[in-house]
Amino acid sequence: MKQLHGTDQRTLAWINLYGILGALEELCAMDEEARALVADRDVAVGFRVAGGPRATLRFAGGQCTLEEGDEHCDIRLPFASPEKFNGMIDGTVTPIPTKGLTKVKFLLGPFTKLTDRLTRYLRASEQDLQDPEFFRRSTTLMFFVIAEALSQIGNRDRIGRASAANMPDGVVCLRIEGGPAAAIGVRNHVLRTVKRAPEKPMATMSFGSMEIARELFDGKRNAMASLGTGEIRVQGLMPLLDNVNRILDRVALYLA
Amino acid sequence: MNTYTYDESRRQFQRACRVIPSGIYGHQGPGEGCFIPVDAFPLFSERAKGAYFWDVDGNRFIDYMCAYGPNILGYCDEEVDEAARRQMEQGNCITTPSSRMIDFAELLVDTVHTADWAFFAKNGNDVTTLAVMAARAYSHKKKIVFFQGYYHGVAPWTQKVDYPGVLEEDVCNNVCVPWNDIDRLQEVFARNRGEIAALIAQPYDHGNFHDNVMPAEGFWQQVRKLCTDNDVVLIIDDVRAGFRMDLAGSDHYFGFEADLICFCKALANGYNVSALCGKDFLKNTVSGMTYTGSYWMSAVPFAAGIACIEKMKRIDAPKLLNEKGTKLADGLRAAAARHGFDLHVTGMPSLFYLRIADDPSLALHQEWVAECVRRGVYFTNHHNHFINAALSDSDIAETVAVAEEAFDAVRQRHPL
Repeated sequence: MKQLHGTDQRTLAWINLYGILGALEELCAMDEEARALVADRDVAVGFRVAGGPRATLRFAGGQCTLEEGDEHCDIRLPFASPEKFNGMIDGTVTPIPTKGLTKVKFLLGPFTKLTDRLTRYLRASEQDLQDPEFFRRSTTLMFFVIAEALSQIGNRDRIGRASAANMPDGVVCLRIEGGPAAAIGVRNHVLRTVKRAPEKPMATMSFGSMEIARELFDGKRNAMASLGTGEIRVQGLMPLLDNVNRILDRVALYLA
Repeated sequence: MNTYTYDESRRQFQRACRVIPSGIYGHQGPGEGCFIPVDAFPLFSERAKGAYFWDVDGNRFIDYMCAYGPNILGYCDEEVDEAARRQMEQGNCITTPSSRMIDFAELLVDTVHTADWAFFAKNGNDVTTLAVMAARAYSHKKKIVFFQGYYHGVAPWTQKVDYPGVLEEDVCNNVCVPWNDIDRLQEVFARNRGEIAALIAQPYDHGNFHDNVMPAEGFWQQVRKLCTDNDVVLIIDDVRAGFRMDLAGSDHYFGFEADLICFCKALANGYNVSALCGKDFLKNTVSGMTYTGSYWMSAVPFAAGIACIEKMKRIDAPKLLNEKGTKLADGLRAAAARHGFDLHVTGMPSLFYLRIADDPSLALHQEWVAECVRRGVYFTNHHNHFINAALSDSDIAETVAVAEEAFDAVRQRHPL
């Protein structure tokens, strides 16, 4: 990855693990084909990144959950550095498991197909997006990746931390009308994303429709103008949202 | 009471978005967070007079933003406009400056307590930037001390590191201290001994999103002494509060003397001019700086500024505006209480800040402001407001009546 505007590989690794691979949770929940790939599997894949994040993707009963830490995994994939892990996400590095060698077939088979399917949604072609259901799923997955990246950048990126330092405590609700919602909790300038709407948000940023959200994510629509037209609506404690906006600028750099 | 609609404003905004970044940029734009929800607010004006402006849909507003400060005597004040018209007939932007510039500088030196000289530019940001550059040029030191929640313009040095287009190098010499915390300030001065060029501050904490906070008893005198003892230039940014507290400068109001003081907004009742005034010991430094702009010596704003200051003196503008602001604040608080709301009105009455304190998310406050705007009283959500001299008692009474109805509308949605 080209190092733009002080972006760093360590922050990117956290985004890739918790944001990108974390989106497998929603993929398995909403996509029948993905669910079928892991329907009869009961396996946990751990990721251990030296100098970076550790987490486990657990597949059971057709569902996927991301857990912090890699202590309780069946297969462990170690990475010598955040760069190596990010290389795996880019497809330039092939990891070698240190635990669970007998379950490598899962990695080479269903898991690879699952991540390929995720890639198809996250790097969607114009043709695929013509299908309304594909469009909805793709935009939903992008939304959750962005919501998770927001917390990772606010907690780890040098400039993102400066934004987080100016955030008061409170919960931000990000939502797309007629679509997904997420909560960004802020406590003592540490951010945490929860992939469902909060009960009592201190501030809300709401995108008017899936189409509007998609155009914003793809950089085809201007966010400031959309505030003026009411296509993005905000309410509540603005110092929270102002700094969410600053961090969203960095999200675009990392996910570019 | 009828509520307003803004079809033409919306039409014009769509038109603007095609050729202007974000349609309306900056503090007057809907994207800056003070128009919540945006559909309660007009976006474009048609005309203004006295205490009112009319939007492009023909709606009339009693205006408590006053163009974010410049309107201090009332829009299109006849004395100021006449002075500007007369000067325009003689010339405005000319190869050599008009001697009206000297008249204006002399008037400021006579009016502003700390001023031995005046330097003119166009916007507040021009003169806050000049003040910081002058402090660095004078002291040959790098660091600038700010108080938390500061706003001193839009130049890179005034921003935070996460702002688009700002480099870490632009802000790496900024040091920030909590307002009213003299102990922390002393610590910062001790830790950065010999490195601080200036302390820049507004006369009190009139930041956004929180109740405005006056200086603690003796705070400014301690700051002044600290700056003097450490050879730090004390800059007062009076761009927003200037002439609404004290015609001699807001430092004079609080009983201390700044080394440099920045004016803009209320200086010429809407004509575009700003001024940096300062003490004699900094005059040579500023003389040696190349700092200028194409329109900085235009004569029409100077003539307007002279007329504005003379009228402000004649009517004792700060006293008048604070009396009007106090009357309004009392009326708004009482209206809020009648509906079970705790409305905080803080800061100087002439540039009061409003906050409904019942809801920490500020959403109730945003709802109430929106209901006021839809009924013709122009407040914004989270910025201090401004009083102008044309505001009448009947305008204040109408405002309180609108506020009352707006509180009622919000209370119906959020019953006790």
